Amino acid sequence: MPTSTIAASGSTPFIIKKKELRVSTFSSTSFNIIPKKRCSKKVVSVMTPTQSQRPPSTTGSVKTALTMTEKILVRASERSALVPGENVWVNVDVLMTHDVCGPGTIGIFKKEFGENAKVWDREKIVIIPDHYIFTSDERANRNVDILRDFCGEQDIKYFYDIKDLGDFRANPDYKGVCHVALAQEGHCRPGEVLLGTDSHTCNAGAFGQFASGIGNTDAGFVMGAGKLLKVPPTLRFVMDGEMPSYLLAKDLILQIIGEISVAGATYKSMEFVGSTVESLSRMTLCNMVVEAGGKNGVVPADSTTYKYLEGKTSVEYQPVYSDDKARFLSEYRFDVSKLEPLVAKAHSPDNRALARECKDVKIDRVYIGSCTGGKTGFFCCGKTFPSIGKKSFISLVFLTIVFLLTGKKDKVPTFIVPATQKVWMDIYSIPVPGSGGKTCSQIFEEAACDTPASPSCGACLGGPRDTYARMNEPQASHIMSMNCLFSVCVSTTNRNFPGRMGYKEGQIYLASPYTAGASALTGFVTDPREFFAVTEDK
Amino acid sequence: MATTSASVFNPALALNNYSKEQLHVAFTSNLRMSTSCFTKFQLKHFSSSLIPSQSTRIPICAATSPTSPSETTATTFHGLCYVLGNNIDTDQIIPAEYLTLVPSKPDEYRKLGSFALIGLPSTYETRFIESGEVQSKYSIVIGGENFGCGSSREHAPVALGAAGVKAVVAESYARIFFRNSVATGEVYPLESEGRLCDECSTGDVVTVELAKSLLINHTTGKEYKLKPIGDAGPVIDAGGIFAYARKTGMIPSAAPS
Repeated sequence: MPTSTIAASGSTPFIIKKKELRVSTFSSTSFNIIPKKRCSKKVVSVMTPTQSQRPPSTTGSVKTALTMTEKILVRASERSALVPGENVWVNVDVLMTHDVCGPGTIGIFKKEFGENAKVWDREKIVIIPDHYIFTSDERANRNVDILRDFCGEQDIKYFYDIKDLGDFRANPDYKGVCHVALAQEGHCRPGEVLLGTDSHTCNAGAFGQFASGIGNTDAGFVMGAGKLLKVPPTLRFVMDGEMPSYLLAKDLILQIIGEISVAGATYKSMEFVGSTVESLSRMTLCNMVVEAGGKNGVVPADSTTYKYLEGKTSVEYQPVYSDDKARFLSEYRFDVSKLEPLVAKAHSPDNRALARECKDVKIDRVYIGSCTGGKTGFFCCGKTFPSIGKKSFISLVFLTIVFLLTGKKDKVPTFIVPATQKVWMDIYSIPVPGSGGKTCSQIFEEAACDTPASPSCGACLGGPRDTYARMNEPQASHIMSMNCLFSVCVSTTNRNFPGRMGYKEGQIYLASPYTAGASALTGFVTDPREFFAVTEDK
Repeated sequence: MATTSASVFNPALALNNYSKEQLHVAFTSNLRMSTSCFTKFQLKHFSSSLIPSQSTRIPICAATSPTSPSETTATTFHGLCYVLGNNIDTDQIIPAEYLTLVPSKPDEYRKLGSFALIGLPSTYETRFIESGEVQSKYSIVIGGENFGCGSSREHAPVALGAAGVKAVVAESYARIFFRNSVATGEVYPLESEGRLCDECSTGDVVTVELAKSLLINHTTGKEYKLKPIGDAGPVIDAGGIFAYARKTGMIPSAAPS
């Protein structure tokens, strides 16, 4: 047991408890054993007190120039320095869970901390039912009840409940897809640490924070005790160049994943910078970081971030930025103006192909939705909608552009699942510029899309059999195509592994909303440029 | 614990006519421990049999050269292996439609086990769990790169563990799956040197020796070096992150009942 304490200061020696040394370097994970209480306020010494001010280090030279991810973790762990690969004990600012993993997490929390244990902070847990909501599956419905009971017991401040499954609008608290709801409700703040029981929690890195997905057991641990993380090294992606009018953030992230593969960023942080990044959907970029194996994604916070957060949160936040001399594992540079619309062919997110090279692929359906493609976008796409003063914009509106430009109707069933209640309402209320005052919903209707559905994760991950738009059986009409007997779906979602949307042999092509819309209109995988005038759109 | 010695009943062993110690494996009639405490790692109880199982899996090799009890805390796995390729994602391990099952409920934990790897495409002709069975006869899963990629669903390592898998030996892992395996203590996530999925076939009889970081394929007669489990080992041995945290004084010992 430590017998002396040294107050932390900027040049405090980096002291390690003896016990740590035994387990300080896991090959792939990190489990430190500093009791949380002791770590939170003071630096504790068990070795002979040093006289020198120079921090002794155990893992090599101590870096003073830090990347964004490193800085966030330094602050959250109340340490003075960190190196990638190190294990740290960080304070968590927000823990999120939903209906699929929440009950399991709660079960673990109660078992390990006691039936009557209290969560560490009732205001830092956000519980969002969103995955299997509009279904008659009894277990799915029971899982939402389990969340409700727990939130009642613990007096959890943020629980976006739903009781009336027949009409989502009758539930004032219900939001929809957790990652979009977290953003919309102001739970994502620069410089903070957000953990969630969902792999796409990395989505929130768009706000310049550390956000990563964890399992039930780790989450149960956080609920009571706090969390340990390993510091990931950072890969930097610099994107510059004029963003062509036919490209969206989805095309960029598909480009990157295709470049580095589904394991290219394993255990690493992905940092997105560059002039292009400032003006596109940062959440889409960060959302799919996990598809490259990444631990988290970050985009530096800026005026757009602050404007978005105005009125959404009263919690003070402090953004951090990578130092100039920070060391990155690798740096990739893209000239965005040279990229073309992409798809990820079945059955992997890194199975990258040019949309135009897939124009012979006949499709059965188009799915627009999920945290990746059915959400409120982070920016106005200033070029296309110069008159818009709104802070946030619907990425679904991008879809309407395609329909507007052509005035055509869908050749294949087109399913639209808005991510949240707010997005749903926006679709029905916001007039789309250049359309003569029509709303998105009207444009979708005229294009013969299916009526926008109740907001939730929907068929992105298949779900119970009665989930709307789930891929359940092959289309008989497919006999003539090269994808004989298999359903083919173009989707704005994030994963296309076998059986992802239901039917095991179903083929899913991941694409941007533009590409999805264009494909809906032709019945084949289609490059959106077919419908865009390819002019310099200033 | 009743044991029956049935030294040559395993056709695979008989075929190879090994005169090694493996022929003297003591067969126990069943191996499943009580699943009421799912966070406890099954390996600690590998030699005790509490719940009768239908499968005729080869039990863990326990009767080789006599070793003192203190050395044998979960150091060896022995059984049939099931071989998979690269990028086995969590949707294949446990498809989303089964995620309504809550792993912390014992009966749902068992059900999850019965659906393990049911998402594999039909190119995998030998099914991981035979129809009508609720557990697998394969206790070691061999994989390629990026095993467990995709979702953070803890149901993935849980389903494998509940199905009877003791260890996964893969070329590399996706981070959330690895972490979940260690945190729950459900399966030992081991890394191989090179691609064992190209060397082994489903149904091969293998032994994994943790202390020596070795995988022995009895069917082919080859041995392979594994990367040492490293510091994740003590966490898994203790039974997962909570048990480990208690053991090391991190959080109060003994969960309040």
